[in-house]
Amino acid sequence: MAQHISSAYDRDLEAIQTLVVKMGGMVENAIMSAVTSLETRDMELAEKVRAGDKLIDALELQINEEAARVIALRAPVSKDLRSILTVLRITASLERIGDYAKNIAKRTATLADMPQISGSDAALRRMAREVQTMLKDLLDAYLRGDAELAENVRQHDQDVDQMYNALFREYLTFMMEDPRNITACMHLHFMAKNVERMGDLVTNMAEQLIYQITGELPDEARPKGDKTAYMTKL
Amino acid sequence: MKDTHMQNPKISAKNVQVYYGDNHAIKDVNVEIADKTVTAFIGPSGCGKSTFLRCLNRMNDTIDICRVTGEIKIDDEDIYDAKVDPVQLRAKVGMVFQKPNPFPKSIYDNVAYGPKIHGLARNKAELDEIVEQSLRKAALWNEAKDRLDSPGTGLSGGQQQRLCIARAIATSPEVLLMDEPCSALDPIATAQVEELIDELRQSFSVVIVTHSMQQAARVSQKTAFFHLGNLVEYDDTDKIFTNPEDPRTESYISGRIG
Amino acid sequence: MTQKSLLTVDARTKKRNAAEKRFKAYGFAAISVAMLALVTLLTSVIGTGASAFKQTYATVTMQLPEDVLDKSGVRDIDVMKKVTTVGYTKILNQGLTDTVAALNIPHDLSNKDIGGMLSKEAAATIRDHVLANPELIGQEVTLDLLMNGRIDGYFKGRVTMESAALDSNTSPAELALAQALADAGVVNTKFNWAFLTNPDASDQRPEAAGLGVAILGSLYMMIIVLAISLPIGVAASIYLEEFAPKNRWTDLIEVNISNLAAVPSIVYGILGLAIFINFLEFKQSSPLVGGLVLSLMTLPRIIIPARAALKSVPPSIRDAALGVGASKMQSVFHHVLPLAAPGILTGVIIGLGQALGETAPLLLIGMVAFVREYPAAYTPDAGLFGEASTALPVQIYNWTQRADPGFVERASGAIITLLIFLLIMNAVAIFLRRKFERRW
Repeated sequence: MAQHISSAYDRDLEAIQTLVVKMGGMVENAIMSAVTSLETRDMELAEKVRAGDKLIDALELQINEEAARVIALRAPVSKDLRSILTVLRITASLERIGDYAKNIAKRTATLADMPQISGSDAALRRMAREVQTMLKDLLDAYLRGDAELAENVRQHDQDVDQMYNALFREYLTFMMEDPRNITACMHLHFMAKNVERMGDLVTNMAEQLIYQITGELPDEARPKGDKTAYMTKL
Repeated sequence: MKDTHMQNPKISAKNVQVYYGDNHAIKDVNVEIADKTVTAFIGPSGCGKSTFLRCLNRMNDTIDICRVTGEIKIDDEDIYDAKVDPVQLRAKVGMVFQKPNPFPKSIYDNVAYGPKIHGLARNKAELDEIVEQSLRKAALWNEAKDRLDSPGTGLSGGQQQRLCIARAIATSPEVLLMDEPCSALDPIATAQVEELIDELRQSFSVVIVTHSMQQAARVSQKTAFFHLGNLVEYDDTDKIFTNPEDPRTESYISGRIG
Repeated sequence: MTQKSLLTVDARTKKRNAAEKRFKAYGFAAISVAMLALVTLLTSVIGTGASAFKQTYATVTMQLPEDVLDKSGVRDIDVMKKVTTVGYTKILNQGLTDTVAALNIPHDLSNKDIGGMLSKEAAATIRDHVLANPELIGQEVTLDLLMNGRIDGYFKGRVTMESAALDSNTSPAELALAQALADAGVVNTKFNWAFLTNPDASDQRPEAAGLGVAILGSLYMMIIVLAISLPIGVAASIYLEEFAPKNRWTDLIEVNISNLAAVPSIVYGILGLAIFINFLEFKQSSPLVGGLVLSLMTLPRIIIPARAALKSVPPSIRDAALGVGASKMQSVFHHVLPLAAPGILTGVIIGLGQALGETAPLLLIGMVAFVREYPAAYTPDAGLFGEASTALPVQIYNWTQRADPGFVERASGAIITLLIFLLIMNAVAIFLRRKFERRW
């Protein structure tokens, strides 16, 4: 795409883009740090994640202000308008993901005192890694304007949902085996739910990015793999 | 450009070419303009939008080296037909210019001139009525009713432009052509004129040439983008400004060169 | 670059300021020289000419004996006309002598000499008076009669006792008598309306010479110039500016008109001679021919400013008129012409002013002749404006050629009159321009 005649306009848009990517990076770290701290029972790391969320929130505020400024001063149309609207939506989603990561970190402290449940942490970590990859791909797609990559990300949510289904069953099994596990499993379950929600949010971001690039929201309903709502028994 | 044809276009242009001497200024323009709508012509300087506008009321006839070919029909009648008298055409198709140009006469005489030379009023009472109605429609009556005999040139810029609009609509035209009517006005006067245009479109078909894209976006229902003499894209205004089809349109409205 | 304070003026600015000051000084000097020249001219002209507006008259009471003037007693005008001015001269001489005697002024002049103090015109004056009022014969009548040029010159300071001693037309004794009569109130100098109304007079009678014929002739010619060159000139300029196609022919016409404005006026005189007098056989020296020649000369001088005035009307007015549905003709006549009117008017009046002062072409068509009768506007055998006449500038030329020093004063007086007319015309032009000036 050619440059704007007004170079300040281009600089403004680039600055916002940089901030978004920076926020995305911070959120990626937060996800992985939260889950790692659970695995290694690292309280300091968890604390860091909780503190780091404040920075993420501050960034979202800053990006919102910059976007409002561009709207007021530049009256963007067409592609520029879509990109500004996308930025607002993406950062809102990123901030939610950051909150979920913080939530996970919070529960780590609680779980620290409880006995570890074998295998569950690793599964959670794998799920989080999936989501982190999705987010990374999404940020790449955002930087490059790659609608295909965004579509891939969108489809990937299926895997995350499958993993969540599996974890759901696993925790039920653990809870049925030994009622002393219930508390721990409940917390773990919430964490897993958070990660699954993160995946959904990244998918939303992908759809938004497709709208920015092509001008139309993808209208085929995305594949929803989360069947837990309909689960009646194991 | 969508290939749908309008049901009963007010103005329809086919294969219009305009030459200034050897310069091919308007190249093969096809467009249909709907009735009771505001259509905006946008495009960079020298793209031919004003030239095309002036074809619609044959003002280009006054320029010796200008040649127009192709077919332009208003209400299904070719206005370049040999039987058509441009003077009669211009009573039906009114024009408002960029710089307000009231006659150096009184406000009353300014508005009454058109109806007088076209014999639209049988007596003074009818003429008074026409003048009042036109000034009311142009949102100038309240400011002008006590000073109808004072010179038109004594009004402020925005008022002068509204006087020119009143003058143009006094002959009860069916189409109103406006060539950058607000470019010499301050923002408040501009807003008043835009409001006026919005009301006028209930009675006339309005075609407005403008340099300001925001104005085209605010005021029109359909927009045509001209570039280097070609009509590049013609569509509903909201489509042009949210998701245009042609990359040239996209570049122009976002302010990108190249 | 070191920062310079604004408070110190650098060398370049100083030089530039000095150059501008010098330029202004040159301009001022030029205007001063022009003003000086103007003042010199006016002083000289007014100095010599102002006295033309005063004239010395004598109030004479004389008897009108029937036996001299109308022996038959029938009061038949044709018979009375047979009495020439010679007869009346005797009556005049007697009348003035009696007046002098009645005042007991000592002198040693003869009747003839005393009578000679009156202008030779005086006899004609009384004769015309009697022929117009035959019932006065036999009675006493009192009239104001012109005094002769030398006496008049004495009262105006032109003739002194010393010059009178050398002069064959007068003598110091006459001057002394005249002075005594003036002291007695018989002779006085009053404002000379006759200067503007009298026809020209012969070489010996500068005191009787007037501008009447010349003014009338100039008036007729101005009427003709106005009637011909105004409509044609304005119509031509409208056509050239608004309707003519922009091609080589039109360019050619424009160039020619500009050239014609610069052609020396005497060439127009030759043209008039060749075409109007020789070919068309109009009357020589008539205001008709003079007017036609001047019209030809004035036409380009009207067309050029009229075109400029039309050009200066902004095209937005024309566009506005066309946009409302006026035809080209309507837009020109309803909108462009009224706005260009002040400029056109100024052009017309200035053109007329120039025509008023033109001499050379009129000389060629024969208006130099001595014309004694007021030309009538229309006569059956001479046609419209066909009677011989003269014009103001030509009259001035004529008078400067004459020997009698009284004519110097007359010529200067005529120059003043001409200047006043021109001033009035220009003032009218400026007034009209101001009045109709519009803002657009």
